[in-house]
Amino acid sequence: MNHRWDFASVFANTDALLVGVAGTLRIFAICLVVGLSLGLVIGLGRHSRRPWLYFPATAFVEFFRNTPVLVQILWFYFALPILMPFSISPLAAATLGISLNSAAFSAEIYRGGIQSIERGQWDGARAIGMSWRQSMVRIILPQALKRMTPALTNRAIEIFKMSTLASAVAYTELLQQGKLIASLNFNPIEAYSAVAAIFFIILWPMVQMTYVLERRLRRDE
Amino acid sequence: MYRWDFSPVFANWPLLAQGLLNTLKVTAVSLSFGLALGLVMALLRLSPRRFLSLPAGFVIEVFRTTPPLVQLFWFYFALPLLIGVEMTPFGAAVLTFSIQSAAFFAEVFRGGIVSIERGQWEAAKSIGMGRWRTLERIILPQAVKRMIPAFMERTIELMKTTTLVATISYADLLFAANEISQKTFRPLETLTVAALIYFAVIFTFSLLSRRLEHRLAISGETTAR
Repeated sequence: MNHRWDFASVFANTDALLVGVAGTLRIFAICLVVGLSLGLVIGLGRHSRRPWLYFPATAFVEFFRNTPVLVQILWFYFALPILMPFSISPLAAATLGISLNSAAFSAEIYRGGIQSIERGQWDGARAIGMSWRQSMVRIILPQALKRMTPALTNRAIEIFKMSTLASAVAYTELLQQGKLIASLNFNPIEAYSAVAAIFFIILWPMVQMTYVLERRLRRDE
Repeated sequence: MYRWDFSPVFANWPLLAQGLLNTLKVTAVSLSFGLALGLVMALLRLSPRRFLSLPAGFVIEVFRTTPPLVQLFWFYFALPLLIGVEMTPFGAAVLTFSIQSAAFFAEVFRGGIVSIERGQWEAAKSIGMGRWRTLERIILPQAVKRMIPAFMERTIELMKTTTLVATISYADLLFAANEISQKTFRPLETLTVAALIYFAVIFTFSLLSRRLEHRLAISGETTAR
């Protein structure tokens, strides 16, 4: 227990850490947009009564929810290029894995949200002459989205945490930069503590926000 | 056109089987420690004494908000130097995943305990039960039933999270698959087989948990989260 903490070697590498944060934010942003929008499409497929939409969407959701993300990322990085005529970058592999995984999880959130809206809303929309599409876009989704907000924010936090897995294929994100700093300066204690602290500082406000959203929603309903 | 050939993978099935066994071992050990520690953390957090509830709340928040891979690296590369002990990949994995899942379990326990009506506490008190006895005999037995679906969900998450140990060279299923693919130059077949094994195990467990959840829903219990 007589380790002398010395963060000077970490602060000297602030640039490298900032590059890492930028990499983390980039992969987070891509996966958030791709994952949550693809999730909506698949969630609608899961909600559909047409078997040719329902079954593929269900298979997708079950497969990606029931396999580990790291396995998916490594598969896209090492296995997929064999079937493809081009190579796949670490960013592309990590993005594919995390986005598809998040799409599967958010699809279930969308489905649950849509199903939670009372039948009367559909009937009402229909009575004033709205098509399925109009009712979904104008009546159902706006109400459902409100109920889903806490669950979707939770998903966003999960995506942020999952972005660290990109370091397994050597993509330059925060944890990867921490590894680099630790091995160059022989300061794993300080380097990894700093990385953990940065993640906590970024994520903690996001987590608190979901608590506030959850509370507000419970009060409204 | 690529010609698939699974024979090199199947020739190495003992490695995969051992890997799967190690995955299940890490999951089971972390799960048992995680549950016990989670209950302790929940009780500390619910304590009316602030010097107990505040630190417990802080630990829970830290382990719930930081990425598990960062925690694993910290416990494997930083902690051993800090306290001067040798750390095996298995030890680091069990330590990380026990505390991490304990933080999540603590919130499940807390939610379950809080969900039990005040009247149960009052009734127990009126027949002369102390706080601990009430918790043990009246509150927890009712709360645990409500918590089962959330526990199952967490267990599935834990099993998926254990794949992270492959990054610190513990010979779990994913690590074994990586070894085989490097040895046989068949990453496509090996990683596909590994993914399918994970799917088979985790999907079976998901189906079981859904069935149990359905049964509990029939008996009038809702999920406490």
